[in-house]
Amino acid sequence: MQNIRNFSIIAHIDHGKSTLADRFIQHCGGLTEREMSEQVLDSMDLERERGITIKAQSVRLEYRAVDGQIYQFNIIDTPGHVDFSYEVSRSLSACEGALLVVDAAQGVEAQSVANCFTAIENNLEVLPVLNKIDLPSADPEKVIVEIEEIIGIEAMDAVRVSAKTGQGVPELLEQIIRGIPPPKGNVTGPLKALIIDSWFDNYLGVVSLVRVFDGAINTGDKIRVMSTGQNHEITQLGVFTPKRTVRQTLATGEVGYVVTGLKDINAAPVGDTLTSARTPAATPLAGFKIIQPRVFAGMFPVDSGEFENFRDALSKLKLNDASLHYEPETSQALGSGFRCGFLGMLHMEIVQERLEREYDLDLITTTPTVVYEVETTDGQVTRVDNPAKLPDPGRLKEIREPIIRADILVPQEYIGNVITLCIEKRGIQKRMQYLGKQMSLEFELPLNEVVLDFFDRLKSVSRGYASFDYTYLRHQPANLVKLDILINGDRVDALSCIVHYDMAMKRGGELARKLKEFIPRQMFEVAIQAAIGSKILARTTVKALRKNVTAKCYGGDITRKRKLLEKQKEGKKRMKQFGSIEIPQKAFMAILHVGKEE
Amino acid sequence: MLPPLALYIHFPWCIRKCPYCDFNSHGVGHAGFDEAGYLAALASDLEMSLPAIESREVRSVFIGGGTPSLLSGAGAGHMLQLIESKVALAPDCEITLEANPGAADLRRFAEYRAAGVNRLSIGIQSFNDTALRALGRVHDSSEARAAIVHARHAGFTNLNLDIIHTLPGQTVPDAVADLQTAIEFRPEHLSWYQLTIEPGTVFSRNPPILPDEDTGWEIQEAGRELLAAAGYENYEISAWAKAEDTHCVHNLNYWRFGDYLGIGAGAHSKLSNPLNGGIRREVRQASPAEYMRYSGTTAMLSSNYLVEGCAIDLEFMLNALRLREGFSSALFEERTGHALATIRDRIEQGQDLGLIEIQQECIRPTVKGQRYLNDLLQLFV
Repeated sequence: MQNIRNFSIIAHIDHGKSTLADRFIQHCGGLTEREMSEQVLDSMDLERERGITIKAQSVRLEYRAVDGQIYQFNIIDTPGHVDFSYEVSRSLSACEGALLVVDAAQGVEAQSVANCFTAIENNLEVLPVLNKIDLPSADPEKVIVEIEEIIGIEAMDAVRVSAKTGQGVPELLEQIIRGIPPPKGNVTGPLKALIIDSWFDNYLGVVSLVRVFDGAINTGDKIRVMSTGQNHEITQLGVFTPKRTVRQTLATGEVGYVVTGLKDINAAPVGDTLTSARTPAATPLAGFKIIQPRVFAGMFPVDSGEFENFRDALSKLKLNDASLHYEPETSQALGSGFRCGFLGMLHMEIVQERLEREYDLDLITTTPTVVYEVETTDGQVTRVDNPAKLPDPGRLKEIREPIIRADILVPQEYIGNVITLCIEKRGIQKRMQYLGKQMSLEFELPLNEVVLDFFDRLKSVSRGYASFDYTYLRHQPANLVKLDILINGDRVDALSCIVHYDMAMKRGGELARKLKEFIPRQMFEVAIQAAIGSKILARTTVKALRKNVTAKCYGGDITRKRKLLEKQKEGKKRMKQFGSIEIPQKAFMAILHVGKEE
Repeated sequence: MLPPLALYIHFPWCIRKCPYCDFNSHGVGHAGFDEAGYLAALASDLEMSLPAIESREVRSVFIGGGTPSLLSGAGAGHMLQLIESKVALAPDCEITLEANPGAADLRRFAEYRAAGVNRLSIGIQSFNDTALRALGRVHDSSEARAAIVHARHAGFTNLNLDIIHTLPGQTVPDAVADLQTAIEFRPEHLSWYQLTIEPGTVFSRNPPILPDEDTGWEIQEAGRELLAAAGYENYEISAWAKAEDTHCVHNLNYWRFGDYLGIGAGAHSKLSNPLNGGIRREVRQASPAEYMRYSGTTAMLSSNYLVEGCAIDLEFMLNALRLREGFSSALFEERTGHALATIRDRIEQGQDLGLIEIQQECIRPTVKGQRYLNDLLQLFV
């Protein structure tokens, strides 16, 4: 156990976390040259394309140190996006240490700060690492000061590396041995293993990534899931090197996977403790808090005949994504679909993309909304995640919206822009701190303003330099109203949204203008109105087409003309027929495009 | 019962290809074209195609292109003689030849007339030199006028003029003037249509600046009024005729979903199977060289397929709904082999949308239905 080191790598997106992990794998001979595809830890296609890690992954490496001893490194990868910060805390709970990788040119960003604080809260030893030291713009001295000032950890000894070229990597491996403590645990005690992650494998069934804290797990052992009391037999266990490698035993302090033949990942809940069925432990491990979805949106198949396929696809996705929630929803405009709950906007985008790409579904996603607490005049409090379910204004006593604490780091020259943006988004400034050339800002912001376009706007007003992270604080009363959209006089339920009263006029106008851009001209004039109740706030009109007829058609290639019509019909399938008007898919997300140039 | 039959003959060369044209036409270049070789290829094509039309009567012949008026008078005569000897032409058979004002002299027109051509269709496009240049035409406005005069002198009493509107830089008065000039020549027939940018053309790669949609609409409205006032009947989306008996027989056959045999490079045929009423479409090799090499063999076809099921209905609608007169349920059933009841719901939808009306057993597009014909056709996809 003295030679085990369990650690995570914490970094902002693009600061080189996955590349560094690759370098470790290569250095320790985990894969042959031929097997080494770049960023092996990001295995999903989507993860690789977007350059982000979504699911926690682990890899065990054997490192022969300068002192001649062999060390076992378990690297537990962490996602780098704010939506998945909860997965970060689950990864960290399996470790004794963490590498804080900071881009030596970009400096500290909000994401690294938030994740680093999580690591410190978990009593992890944090080793700062300066990456991209080979870049001409690298300024390690400045970044060291930033790390010390912003995060408050000693950074003078930070190892300087280039994950890209491999420079400094051997020194870093040695420093990991010295700087990160070995695991502690009761080797002879009853088994206690923490489930870090569970996923569904088509061949093996449910696979769980575990960290053994006390005792050991052997193949064939009867184990018990402590929260459910269910017993299962371990049919297979092993480690990732990063190839899946079958072992007989996972000893105290080790990280590896177990297979029990389960078919439902909810039977092996993340954060739960596994113990021995014969000699069970008295108390489970502390585990970690499971967060609730914060962003909800309706998803509807464009073709209503696809509903059953959509249901199947969601249930399959859910096998590997316990944070995805869904329940059936019916919309007058869009028919049958599901109300889905996500950790955040990126999570939503990723789910939508996977459904479309892996399950070949054509979906309409409605404007995302947060969860409101609604108190009616009879004193009842309900949670509303869908504007259509907002009770009648007459019965409303109070609507409470979720408030977050936003931590923003931004270079001084953009501070004015960022503050203006936060105030426009109804933010209240709590703290502002000068940290060299960077400023650290703390704002309280309504989450519903953040889910719309805050992140994009923040990037654009700071030329991409601002970074941002948030945590949920509380629900708080606000003057909120339901903004409806009427198309040729008819309310389209799927286009409604909940907005602050003071923003309703502006947002209604923007939304009506944006919808005008998205709805194609057709045979009829299309009137778009934004309204609160019966009060019309804004109106735009999509002019009717003057005509739509092929000028000339004499015999000849009729088949080509027929195929053209058939193709047009195919294109129309991607639109939703609303009475006699056709509304394209993206119109339902129009509010996200407000203020953006097309 | 088999539908009426028409014969189309394609002539694939032009002096120069126009930038908006998506027909099978090829500039003749310095080498010219091999008239005798092409006529021989047409002869063997026809010979090989005869069994497919058996001894059915042919109601119309249309020699289109390209620029068929590049054919010598003798060549045209030779070709028509051959056709008359092989095919049962109806006594009042309409025989049309397309002429380009850039290849139009009185003698040649007279020879065409003498050879049996009884209708001339002249591709005027515009009488405005600026517009003609923008369209890349080889002729100017005086040649356009001369061509019409020659046609009359040559004895043609059935004349069509092709005029295109909403041209690059064209104003409403420009377009009206073009049409006014055309009307002053009192042609029996006018094809007046809006310029469209077709894929694969020079204009689609390098789009000209066209008048805006509202101008296009004003042109169309002004033109309609002018034509109506001059006594022309708008019997099809872009076709106007002075009298019922000068409607274009050949084109009407397309629009009423009749059969046609198309011979020549790139020509399309539609032929009903006498046994089961199935519809076969054939396309001949588009390249003149390939066509001439393979003519008379099965290799002269570049494609050959059956149109089946509801595709037939859509192809029928694509044609028949262009006609102001529309179609009767009998015509639909005869031409498609399907009962009208199978599309009744779609017709009712069209009625609900105000795009279709039924008058005296005839199902026809309303004025609005003609205006939004593509939307109407979507009902039948």
